[in-house]
Amino acid sequence: MSMFRAKKFDLGCFTNIKIIRDHSKRKAFEAAEPERQALRYIIRNTTLPMRTRAMAQLQLTQMHCYTRPTQIRNRCIMGGKGRGVLRAFKISRYNFRMEALAGNLPGVKKASW
Amino acid sequence: MSVPRARLLQLMEARCKLFETTFNPEGIRAGNKILRQRLKGPALAGYYPRRLWTMQEFQAEFRDLHLMVDDEKELDRFEHVSLLKARGKGAPKKKNSGPDFKKGKK
Repeated sequence: MSMFRAKKFDLGCFTNIKIIRDHSKRKAFEAAEPERQALRYIIRNTTLPMRTRAMAQLQLTQMHCYTRPTQIRNRCIMGGKGRGVLRAFKISRYNFRMEALAGNLPGVKKASW
Repeated sequence: MSVPRARLLQLMEARCKLFETTFNPEGIRAGNKILRQRLKGPALAGYYPRRLWTMQEFQAEFRDLHLMVDDEKELDRFEHVSLLKARGKGAPKKKNSGPDFKKGKK
């Protein structure tokens, strides 16, 4: 969804459309998070009238899918891969291996015993 | 010795006031756990490294000091393009420019 995309390119890592899309989703979620949390609070609050809660439910489901946190997926910042990404290093397992063997990751060394 | 419930509730209320938590003896679901959650948007949005500067901005920083910074990538690209053009393999002329293009006519 191009309306969520940054007007000026703002990524400093490996870039492909999937990364740009995921980045846009993250920013859209960040912008909409207070609203989402407010709606979630109304929905969960059993002391409020049922009608208000139902309307909040509708409003939350009708928000754009880019503002949904479940749309966000951690991708490899070196190759854009979406699977096998190590959370601590933000890179995929193959890139991790290559970088670790090259000594680019401080504190990482090949196990041997 | 048993303590009356009213007394216990008083204790609970005082405790809630002291620690600034919600006093809710009936356990009504008031959605307070949503309000207690921290916002995770900033952490999520900071996942990918941002671009810090572009080569043009970097060159502009040094222009005041009368220093030239070579953008090697760009120079390489220019060289590549000029080689292509010398072989007659350059990009074609744009359709909507050039001498025989008139605006507003098809």
